[in-house]
Amino acid sequence: MSSRSPSPRSGGWSSPGLNAPYDTGGRSSPYANGGAHNVSWASAQARSAEVKGHTAFNPRNNGFFRKHFRRISTSLPFSYAEKEKLGRGRPQGNRFTEYLTHIGRILWRMRLRVGLSLLLILSIVLFYVTPLHRAFRRSSLWGGGNKFVIILAANQGGGVMEWKGPREWAIERDSVKNKKKYAQKWGYDLDIVDMSTKKRYAHEWRESWEKVDTIRNAMRKYPHAEWFWWLDTNTFIMEPSYSLQSHIFKKLNQVTYRDINEYNPLNITHPVIAEYLDPETRSPIGDGKPNSINLIVPQDCGGFNLGSFFIRRSAWTDRLLDIWWDPVGYEQKHMEWEHKEQDALEYMYTNQPWIRPHVAFIQQRKVNSFPPGACGEKGDDPRIHYQEKDRDFLVNMAGCEWGRDCWAEMYSYRQLSNRLNRNPWEKFKDWIGDSMKKRKQEKEKAKKQEKEKEGNH
Amino acid sequence: MHFAMPPRKTSRPPPYAVRNARSSFNPQYLIPRDRLRRVVLAILGFLAAVWTLRWMFGGGGEIGYESAVAGSGAPVVIVTVFDEKADKGWVGRVKRNREEYARRHGYATFFNTTSNYNIKTSPLSWSKVPALRHAMTLHPTSTWFWYLDSTALIANPSVPITSHILSPAKLEKHMIVNEPVVPPDSVIKTFANLKGERIDVVVTQDREGLSVESFAVRRGEWAKYFLDAWFDPIYRNYNFQKAEGHALEHIVQWHGTILAKLALVPQSLINSYAKGADPSQQGHYKSGDLVASFPGCDKGGKRSCDEEMKPYFEEIEKRKGAE
Repeated sequence: MSSRSPSPRSGGWSSPGLNAPYDTGGRSSPYANGGAHNVSWASAQARSAEVKGHTAFNPRNNGFFRKHFRRISTSLPFSYAEKEKLGRGRPQGNRFTEYLTHIGRILWRMRLRVGLSLLLILSIVLFYVTPLHRAFRRSSLWGGGNKFVIILAANQGGGVMEWKGPREWAIERDSVKNKKKYAQKWGYDLDIVDMSTKKRYAHEWRESWEKVDTIRNAMRKYPHAEWFWWLDTNTFIMEPSYSLQSHIFKKLNQVTYRDINEYNPLNITHPVIAEYLDPETRSPIGDGKPNSINLIVPQDCGGFNLGSFFIRRSAWTDRLLDIWWDPVGYEQKHMEWEHKEQDALEYMYTNQPWIRPHVAFIQQRKVNSFPPGACGEKGDDPRIHYQEKDRDFLVNMAGCEWGRDCWAEMYSYRQLSNRLNRNPWEKFKDWIGDSMKKRKQEKEKAKKQEKEKEGNH
Repeated sequence: MHFAMPPRKTSRPPPYAVRNARSSFNPQYLIPRDRLRRVVLAILGFLAAVWTLRWMFGGGGEIGYESAVAGSGAPVVIVTVFDEKADKGWVGRVKRNREEYARRHGYATFFNTTSNYNIKTSPLSWSKVPALRHAMTLHPTSTWFWYLDSTALIANPSVPITSHILSPAKLEKHMIVNEPVVPPDSVIKTFANLKGERIDVVVTQDREGLSVESFAVRRGEWAKYFLDAWFDPIYRNYNFQKAEGHALEHIVQWHGTILAKLALVPQSLINSYAKGADPSQQGHYKSGDLVASFPGCDKGGKRSCDEEMKPYFEEIEKRKGAE
């Protein structure tokens, strides 16, 4: 017998529903019968092929696997042949597999729709797993993230004045990491600048006056950016899920106020009383349009706070940065202006009317919440202090270097931020851990109480 | 011959039969073709509309009180501030001198007295700064604001300042570049590559420094900045020897955003000295100059503006008669 023969013996074309088990004895296959009925298998096939109009002989089972399939399959610890015999085309196995096959059948029937939705889910996952979403958020057409630059002042007051200890390094590391992550998430640029005290002119220290030069440098460095967000070292972004666009810049008119009388700790007369000025300058809100805002400053209990503020690239800003530091002003006022450039800005806002129509103020807690200890020990001023339940955006540990523990504050806020921003899985894990702990404690308590009771007896 | 049963189907499929089209992806099976086309078109159309809207309303510039009317009024407003105590007759003559010139060329005038600006203890000459701001408020449609001190006269009214000096081309031609702001040897020099249309303030220089008797400022956001920064109380209280003159020199030398908008023009163009201070080389008044200036004639002592100006008034009248 030729092994090339298309006999079902070696190829095994089973036909479902065919009752004759071709494996066992009894009747034999037409080929095995030889010419019993004078019909060889090959001749029958040839005739059939004639009817169908196809060429007859077409050996298909000449590979090793096909040749030896039967032997292999029967040597396996289970036998399909047996199963088939037992099953007789009825569904096999228990209920569960039945259910599974049913589902499989439904899925197969709906394979196109299922495939499409799987593809959709896959592409969404890919979008967020790969840097694609960052590119999207960064592009000026979609997310617009490349319009924002975060300027982070590092090394504040360091350099000549004092050496940094491990705590200072830790603070800086945490702060930088926090901003890096945030900037990367939303596709912003981060410019970390060295603010160590430098001598600009041979005869003077200009500590913290470099803010101006630094902002100008950043504007040169990122020529396509529009808004520049200044941040001191001792700040921590508590809610990285807020984008600047959705948090502030898409609703600039709602979140900012132009009329300083709304909250005026410095008691600045506003608008300017001077008849010679034009109506726009004398208007309490400038022209009232959000695109005339070039500087967004929060106010704490003592006036402007430049620990976290926004400045926009514009001709106006260019002028402001140019006039901000002036040698005559510096000579006259540097003893009096304790906060240097911050006081200078307050002074200019008060005395140079051209500035007012382009400055907007923002609720302190929108961008610059204080911890207790700054502006009041208790930390309960609803305008100023951080509130966990409101999920404030950023904490500025202003003044922590004067008698407070910067590192401890930074650490606790970092932990708090991590805890508040856990994902559901982390929350679940923590919940289990917490409940276990609780139970343990309760048990211990109960034990103790029992012991006490026993002792009392 | 007939068959009782249809011929048997081959148990082997033909090797090159057409494959089942359903197994390959084809969106036509999801949605019929014409409907698919409609859906795609609708999505594209929606995106296009969104983009157009963003493009139209996304990038608006600074729209303020300014934009609607600027430049439609008198091209030049001549601004002069008088001391309250000055002789009324002389004040009238000086005012008439400017009004005639303004009428001749379609300009406007703005006069006020020093007491109307709250200068407090600082020298009254500071009042020219708020006066300019005031004039800009009252003439929002004008472009140039020419401050001409009460100690100066328009000696040749036939010269229009707009086309002779303030046009961009003329400014570029006359502008003195790379010149120390304060003579003779200030390290800060006027910029070399300024465009005429970018100039916002036109000043002159005499032998001692920048002159504040006659200068022109172009109305705009920059002018507000310039005038407000100049008028800062720190400078007013600083005891600059020449008050606002030295303050101007100070801000011009220390702040690039001001120097970049400043054109220094030859003194003879708008500020020829007839008597008083020491002019620059070409700054002596000669017949035909637009302005004759008598700096310091109002400071009292032996000088009297009225008397010094008398011959010039007469000459102007004579020329008018001749024309």
